[in-house]
Amino acid sequence: MLTGIQFDSLSEFFAMGGYAFNVWSVYALFAIFLVANLALPLRRRKLILRGQKRRLTVRGADAERAGKHGDKAGWEVSLAAEGAGEEQ
Amino acid sequence: MAGRWQWFHRLGSPKWFYEKTTRWLPWLIGVMALLLAVGIVWALLFLPPDYQQGHTSRILVVHVAVAGASLSFFPLMAVAGTVTLVWRIKLADMVAKNAAPLGAWFTFLTLATGSIWGSVSWGTWWEWTDSRLVSMLFQFFLLLGVISLRTAIESAETAARACALLSIVGCINVVIIKYSVAWWNTLHQPPSPISMEVGSPNGPEFWVATAIMIVGVYLFLAVSLILATRNEILERENKAQWVRELALRSR
Repeated sequence: MLTGIQFDSLSEFFAMGGYAFNVWSVYALFAIFLVANLALPLRRRKLILRGQKRRLTVRGADAERAGKHGDKAGWEVSLAAEGAGEEQ
Repeated sequence: MAGRWQWFHRLGSPKWFYEKTTRWLPWLIGVMALLLAVGIVWALLFLPPDYQQGHTSRILVVHVAVAGASLSFFPLMAVAGTVTLVWRIKLADMVAKNAAPLGAWFTFLTLATGSIWGSVSWGTWWEWTDSRLVSMLFQFFLLLGVISLRTAIESAETAARACALLSIVGCINVVIIKYSVAWWNTLHQPPSPISMEVGSPNGPEFWVATAIMIVGVYLFLAVSLILATRNEILERENKAQWVRELALRSR
């Protein structure tokens, strides 16, 4: 089934029997397609979580500055305050 | 809602989906990477040159796998859309929403790789009279239509229902794409029958690489769609306690 490597040299491999442009452009497009559709969602995830964390900690810090919550950390305050309303 | 429907609604819970996929993703990504690597190396180095196409047959391993997977998007979006319309399960719409742009990528790559292959084997990059080519191009525009319909309608719920309907109707085109090569025989060839005999025109030395690539590409579809859907969950459920805790724990 596996009939061995079909090329005798590296230059022959790159030349693809005269169809280097066709073969390599297809594999380049395929590589871009694979990398893009994995890297873009992973990057977006990082941005979403970072933005969410910033929102929560800023709100918590505001409450902390107002001095209403004793020695609780800012994010604990925001979690407690905002979480309380959501849980049924 | 209790009793035998419980599993169905648990399945539709974004939190449940997020936690399950956290556990599945490493395995899915591992098997996907392995199969894609084997498929690509096999196709580039070990596939014997075709007696007619020469080395350009290496293109078809990618083309066939991506093209086949691209046909699954409208059926997938139609099923998700039906679940949205009938049971109003949020998760189904999140999947459908993220499937559309991914489907556009798949369809575009199918058209591009087919065109690059055809420029050698058919001597033309494009043929307007070929039904397979034109119906595939139509699928690309249909997917762009679904994407813009989503952004054009202000109410998220109305947009979800409109996209669900368009996805169900769009399945008709998938049938046309599938059978176009049998109904109108112009340029695009019908699928070649595979053979178990080594040395025959479509023997295992040709199609095994393609079969590996097909499974790898389907896994890639699943992984990419899961990653995008998880982002959608984090955004839409950003008021839920578990998402907040996740965000605060993140770096």
